[in-house]
Amino acid sequence: MIGAVGAAGLNGIIESAGLTGFISPSASLVELLGYQFFQNAILGGLAAGFACAWIGLFLVLRREAMIVDGVAHTAFGGVALGLLLGIDPLITALGISIVSVFGISHMKRKGLAESDSAIALMLAVGFSTGLIIISIAGGFSVDLFSYLFGSILTISRSDLLMILVLGMVIISFLTIFHKELLAITFDERGARMMGIPVNAILTMFNLIVAITITLSIKIIGIILVVALIVIPALTALQLRASFAKTITSTVLIGLASVVAGIMVSTFYNVATSGVIVFTMVLIYLVTTALARRGK
Amino acid sequence: MGKDVVIEVRNLNVNRSGALVIKDANFEVLKGDYVGIVGPNGGGKTTLLLAILGQIPKASGTIRLFGKSVESFDEWERVAFVPQDAINFDANFPLSVRELVSLGRLGRKKIGRRLGKIDWDEVDSALEFMGLSEVADRRIGELSGGQKQRMFVAMALVRDPDVIILDEPVAGIDAVTQEKFYQKMSDLNQKRGITIMMVSHDLSAVFCRMSKVICVNKEVNVAEIRPDVDIEGVLRKAYGEHFHFVFHRHECKGEFKA
Repeated sequence: MIGAVGAAGLNGIIESAGLTGFISPSASLVELLGYQFFQNAILGGLAAGFACAWIGLFLVLRREAMIVDGVAHTAFGGVALGLLLGIDPLITALGISIVSVFGISHMKRKGLAESDSAIALMLAVGFSTGLIIISIAGGFSVDLFSYLFGSILTISRSDLLMILVLGMVIISFLTIFHKELLAITFDERGARMMGIPVNAILTMFNLIVAITITLSIKIIGIILVVALIVIPALTALQLRASFAKTITSTVLIGLASVVAGIMVSTFYNVATSGVIVFTMVLIYLVTTALARRGK
Repeated sequence: MGKDVVIEVRNLNVNRSGALVIKDANFEVLKGDYVGIVGPNGGGKTTLLLAILGQIPKASGTIRLFGKSVESFDEWERVAFVPQDAINFDANFPLSVRELVSLGRLGRKKIGRRLGKIDWDEVDSALEFMGLSEVADRRIGELSGGQKQRMFVAMALVRDPDVIILDEPVAGIDAVTQEKFYQKMSDLNQKRGITIMMVSHDLSAVFCRMSKVICVNKEVNVAEIRPDVDIEGVLRKAYGEHFHFVFHRHECKGEFKA
């Protein structure tokens, strides 16, 4: 069973939290905003949507988008380890994600494997580690699946606090270093010649990618985190605009998709992460069609 | 008192892929020089530039920039480089011309700093000087080849460098645009006093506009461009004895440096 908490919308939450009778399935938006779980979901979703979209534009431009999928799947091993040891799974997932992203980067830099092969190797090792841990523990029932598919409507205060702190770290890094990161992304050799400390900034960027993936796990889940990072950037790039307009569009698309996904999934009682991805894909298709027509 | 030495190369040997590419090079570039680097393809022109910029190791010899050994040189904001393949960027990259040129304001001593009014004024001034004000808000991928080259020179200019080094900046650009580009570079050299080193296959432009020529074909020969210097002899050392070079100095439209 995937579990009502992991995959369902408001009704699942109401039932699992024993709130039946307190919230009507036809509750208005204003009523919903009064509930702690909904506030947590919106705040956590906005933090993750903002961070993912911003970092996603750089990853897409650097042609490193699939590193997200690889690291996220590797984080599955970290989640399983956390559940086994009784530690917050997001903390162990963060540790494993950092090891994974630096492992992929090291393999590329040392010429041990091309980017896609290095990602595939890390993905396989991380995911199989998770499977072994699950079999040793005899299964974790619903908890593990909430990390696989996301459970934004059930994030706790402590989860939210961690997501907000990580989100602040990511946004601070990008606010301070986005110009240098842009110069490196456009022309790494040129950036080195200009005296920009490329290695130090890329090391920090790798760390930030691992943090971004970890904070998104509770929001959208390991399987679909790549969508939250890639699709807003891909959509904004269709606009063929300046960097300032592209990054603004990317973030707005990310935020709008997350909020719309939470709303729609709440009112129609369907899986939140699925609706978020479908919202993003819809915006992508409409944007692409309009951009092509405008050519 | 002599002019300030910007670049000093002594007994330089550089290997690439195990083969000697630059052999015993000795020359100086002085403040205000406008230097053309010429020589056949594969002769080592780009290798020489990359060695000067500290991007590839030297086998032996010394390279000094503004009096400091290249290994310990840390004033890279004084040196701007426009590589050969600069204009071959991803045409879909989401940057406006103004945004790209503003990246030239970044550097080791300015990490994490927000660009302020002074920075943007410098950007707009460089765009105006290079004749790009009208396309400042266009995406970089929408520019013509000549405009792209001028954009990268503008990006170099906003760093307020003492020397600009360009590797074949006008390759693949039509003759009229090339001429305009050389004119801009002459203006930079003469009006702003910026030292310029430029790899070029356009020997006419080199001898009409520049003050010094460095001929590179593994061996490196340097000559001042003056009427009393046997330029043809210097060129033959790089291109081979069977080549003949005919220069019509009267065609330089009064721009011959001597």
